[in-house]
Order: sequence, then structure tokens, then C-alpha cells
Amino acid sequence: MRPFQVYVAKDSEHAVSLLCEHAPRAVILAGGTDLLVDLKHGSKPWDVIVDISRAEDLNAITLTGEGLAIGARVTHTDIMRSPVIRESAPALIDAAHSIGAVQTRNLGTIGGNLMTCVPSMDSGPALLALDAGVTIRGPEGLRRLPLAELFVGPRKTSLAPTEILVDIVIPKHNLGKPLVFLKFGLRKGQALALVNVAAGCRLNGGKVWEPTIALGAVAPTVIRAQAAEAYLAGRAPSEQNLSETGRIAAQEAKPISDFRASADYRRDLIAVLVARALRQACAGTEIEQAEMIA
Amino acid sequence: MKRRGRGIGCMWYPIGFTVAANPSAATVKVNEDGTATLLTGTVETGQGALTVLAQIAAQALGIATDDVHVVSADTDATPMDTGAIASRTTYVTGNAVRLAAENARTILFEAAADLLRVKPGQLEAKDRKIQVKGYPQRCVDIADIAGHAQTKLGQPPIGTASWNPPTVAMDPETGQGQPFSTYVYATQIAEVDVDDETGEVEIVRIVAAHDCGTAINPMLVEGQVEGGIAMGIGYALQEEILFDDKGRQVNPNLTNYIMPTSLDVPDIDVSIVSNTDPTGPFGAKGVGEPTSVPTAAAILNAIHDAVGVRVHSLPATAEKVLAAIKAKRAAEQRQIAG
Ligand SMILES: Cc1cc2nc3c(=O)[nH]c(=O)nc-3n(C[C@H](O)[C@H](O)[C@H](O)COP(=O)(O)OP(=O)(O)OC[C@H]3O[C@@H](n4cnc5c(N)ncnc54)[C@H](O)[C@@H]3O)c2cc1C
Repeated sequence: MRPFQVYVAKDSEHAVSLLCEHAPRAVILAGGTDLLVDLKHGSKPWDVIVDISRAEDLNAITLTGEGLAIGARVTHTDIMRSPVIRESAPALIDAAHSIGAVQTRNLGTIGGNLMTCVPSMDSGPALLALDAGVTIRGPEGLRRLPLAELFVGPRKTSLAPTEILVDIVIPKHNLGKPLVFLKFGLRKGQALALVNVAAGCRLNGGKVWEPTIALGAVAPTVIRAQAAEAYLAGRAPSEQNLSETGRIAAQEAKPISDFRASADYRRDLIAVLVARALRQACAGTEIEQAEMIA
Repeated sequence: MKRRGRGIGCMWYPIGFTVAANPSAATVKVNEDGTATLLTGTVETGQGALTVLAQIAAQALGIATDDVHVVSADTDATPMDTGAIASRTTYVTGNAVRLAAENARTILFEAAADLLRVKPGQLEAKDRKIQVKGYPQRCVDIADIAGHAQTKLGQPPIGTASWNPPTVAMDPETGQGQPFSTYVYATQIAEVDVDDETGEVEIVRIVAAHDCGTAINPMLVEGQVEGGIAMGIGYALQEEILFDDKGRQVNPNLTNYIMPTSLDVPDIDVSIVSNTDPTGPFGAKGVGEPTSVPTAAAILNAIHDAVGVRVHSLPATAEKVLAAIKAKRAAEQRQIAG
């Protein structure tokens, strides 16, 4: 580990000014659960750490006119305990709960998870399936980006070295949308995803409406399965249609073979998990509609 | 869909090898305050061996386990031990400790016989006293006897012993013989849910019945059985050292060398089958390695019961189980077609 200096940022503006002063040798630290691994291997040119773990404007979970805003340094544990998220986007809770173990969830943040940008990240699929956007602060102020445009490749985002992720916003019209997150790992606890899936839809007159399907760990970044979504839209949620949707999603993904699993097995998992998630989401939708009628 | 299955695995396991010398030695010193000090070369690695050895010494001396101070694994100070290996400590080192404690007790009996005016053979050690059998009110505190033995008889109550399961030469022509001193037996039953679309195996419950001779410390026996089963689960479903084509390990860390977490280990019902082995200390044999022997067999049999497939290479990962399920379906299709 090389020596480094630590600056504690009091808010996101302060963090950006520190980054501007020290870029490209400076790096953001949130929970540190990913960063410390990198620091220890010492392959990166960083010698300035900008600690945002106490930044005052990055830790809120708030309902705004636009939707649900989740601050970048909100931890996975915070998400699991948030009544607002439980009410409006419960798939995020299932995703948060599947991450590491208690210690990792207590430290690790949603912003860190997205910014590390590994394809197997568990926060990505549900947010992508809900068409989330991200707010970014740079020297020129704030800008907004669809989440899909944040992801560039494995461990690569579109942020400049002087920019910082401020929050993630789930648009209002998608709050409460039935969405199911499923993760398949090589064991039950402390497992990285071999495949993770978030899929959801609404039903309208017995037909699937606005299906969204996001896949993790099966392409260079978390992706939407657009061909599968297009196939399912407007069809009945029959067993056959849901299986076919899963099959199409498996075809459009680009999983790799490695020592954990073969690409073929990962495709099998995508097909099964997509169909399962959609089945569960449709069941949720029916309940919701039944309640509305009653 | 999840399919439930049950499978049985049985095993026997040898305790106390006899093909080569396999000794342990111990020294037990009874102190003037009625406590005892036990010197043993064996190593505590969390399995509770020192607790069991203290219990054996205490039982032989008629004192409490807490009265025994154990000094262990210091080659400058403690007697020789073949090692905390081969599930041998309770059986082999335990026998040495029992004999050493009995040798110290013989001195206590001689000193007490002198005070109580009976023959040493009429005495027993119990409740921190040496008492006349059948007349427990005729007794002396072990603390007092220890002092008496030292200052009046000039013989401090110290016992040393070693024990070696008698070495038996194997027949050089047939390779036959009796390579071990005794054996333990166990049966485990696994109940699993197999997901027939992903191949994932979830272990719902394991029931384990183990013979270990006398269970000197039943809670430690349960702990050993549960720990062994956790290892057996890793062996059955998860653990594998993987190499690239240059022979380098590709998973040399705990992120990628998959072993069970607490969430992967189910409820385990342990039942200890009571039994006594006359060659062991107070009838005890052993319960270390044997606990992980039948687990994989039980789990693989349960997988077969659930989805009708045999996986012949461990670990039976979800990918392998699914491949076997697909192969079976394809074979069934061919049969129908043909
Ligand atoms: C034992 C263990 C198990 C794990 N299990 C899982 C798992 O199951 N699933 C999973 O998805 N992840 C897992 N992780 C990875 C990790 O915990 C998560 O990705 C976590 O959310 C990272 O957040 P952090 O706050 O710790 O990030 P940090 O380590 O602080 O930062 C990570 C990266 O993001 C950058 N960064 C952080 N915040 C910002 C910001 N606001 N703006 C710009 N850049 C930022 C940092 O500079 C750094 O490059 C695991 C990690 C460990 C150690």
C-alpha cells in the first residue's frame, strides 16, 4: 500500500473542489469496501483520498416532485431499513439484502456500488429496470444522466475524475411498479452474482404493459434485455410467453465462460430467472389490482 | 420447481493406528490445595481436547474439571504426544492421562490408607475426598492427603504414564492385519431441495447419529459433528481448487474458493449413540474426522432421490446437477422417440 493523504469533504461541493485540486491523483472514498481492495493492491496512481463518508448532502432518502432520490452515500443497510423504499421500490431492499454480509452492507454505499461498476453489482439491475437517473456534480455544477449512460464497461463509468455522484433518482411514475429482483450465486451467503435479474411489468386488460428486464453479470455492464421486453409487451403473461421472454433475454445477453460457470449455464440461469421474476411480478400486479377493485 | 429428496450415508472410521508406534504421554501432579496440574503435549485447536483431557484427569482423581490446570503443547515442558491428528487425542492421549492420574491417585490412596487405617484397595476418590468404599463418612480431603503424602510419607502425588495402542505388524505377504485399535460408526441422513431448472441444491436438514464410545463431553461431540457436516457440505457441493492450464490456482482466495457460510448450513440434529469401548478412557473412542465422512454420500443420494440423477464428480455444483438433469431428460426423450 502506498502512502496517501486523506481529506474529509463536508459536502459534495467541497468534495468536487478537493478533486479539482488533486485530480487525477485523487479518489473518492465512501464506505471503502471496494476502494480498500484497490488501495491495497497499489496499482492505481492515487495518493489523495477524498472521504465523503461524512458529506452532509449525500445521505438522504427523499420523495420529491420528480420521484425518489437516494443519496450516493446511503448504505445498503439504510436501504433495507427505509420505510419509503419498502413502500415504493421494495426490489431495492431485496437487492441490498443480497449484498455481502452485515458488515459489508453497513459500510458499503449504493453510490460506491454503481461507481465500482462491476457487471455483477447487485444495485444495478433494479435501478436500471426502474429507469433511474443519476445526478452528478462537477466543477460546472450539477448534471443529470440516465443510469444506463453512467455504465461504460467493467469498472468504467462516464464520470470525469473531477466529478462526483450525488444521488440516484427513480422517476415518480415507476414508484410502486411491481418489480422482482432475483440473484443466483454459488452459495447463499457472501456470494457474488453469477446472474442477477430485475424484471417487472404492469398488467392492463390481461396484457403485459411496460415490461422492463435488467440483467447483471452477463455482459460488460448491467444491461436491459430490450428484445425480450419488446416481445412481451402487449402479450398475455402466460407460462409460454414468460418462458419465451426468458429465452430471448438469454439470447441477447453476452455472458462469458470462466471458472465459476460456463456461458451456456449462465444463459440457462437468465432464462429461468427472468421468467420467474416476471411471474412473481405479475402475481403482485394482480393482487394490486384486486385490492384496487375491492 | 423444487424437488425434495432424502439420502443416507453410512461410515466406519478407524481410531488409534497400530501399524507404527503411536504413543502419547502425560504427567498429573496433585497439588497441596487439592487441585491438579496436567502436562500434555497435545495441541488445542478449538476442538476442546484440553477440556476432555481435564475431565478425564478429574474423573480419575475424584475432583472437578475446573480443579485441573492444563499445561499443553510446550515441547520444553510437556511430555511427548504423537499429535492432534487422526482423531486420536481422546482415545490415545486420554488413555495416557487416565493412567497418569491413576498413578498419582495410587500415591494418594497409600497416604490415605495410612491416615484412615484401611488398605489402599478399600479406598475410592470422590467429591474431592479419598473415602472408604461404602463408608463415605470415613474420608480425608484430597488437599490434606496431598500434603500428607509429601511431608509425612516423602512421596509427592505425581503420576506419569504413556500409552501406545499395541503395534501390530501387518502380514508382509497378504498386507492383512489389524491396522487400528478400534473403530467408530455413523449414519447421516440429508434432506435436500433440488431446483430442477437451475440445479441448485439446498440442504434443508441433516440428521446425524454417531457412535464415539462414551461421549465424555456431549456438547463438544455435537460441535464436532456439526463442524464436520459443514465441511462435508463444502466437499459435496462447493469446494474445489481450480487450476489454469499452466497449473496455477485460479481461485486462491475466499471470494472464489467457495465454502459454506452459516446460511448454507442447515439445522443439524445430532444424536449420540451410547456405547462403551473397553480399550478407551472411560469407554471413549473419538469423534473428529469421521463426522465429515458420510455427509457427501448422504447429500448425493438425496439429490438422486429428488431428481433421479447421479453426479459422479465432486463438488456437485448447480451447473453439474443441471447438466445431469438435462442429460436424463434427453435420454428419456430418445426412449420415447425410439
Ligand atoms: C466481503 C465483500 C462482499 C461483497 N459482496 C458484494 C455483493 O454481494 N454484491 C455487490 O454488488 N457488491 C459486493 N461487494 C462490493 C462492495 O461492497 C459494494 O460495491 C459497495 O456498495 C461499494 O460501496 P462503498 O461505499 O464501500 O464504495 P467505496 O469502496 O468507498 O468506493 C467504490 C468506488 O466508487 C467510487 N465512489 C464511491 N462513491 C462515489 C461517489 N459518490 N461519486 C463518485 N465516485 C464514488 C470510489 O472512488 C471507488 O472507486 C462486496 C464487497 C466485499 C468487501
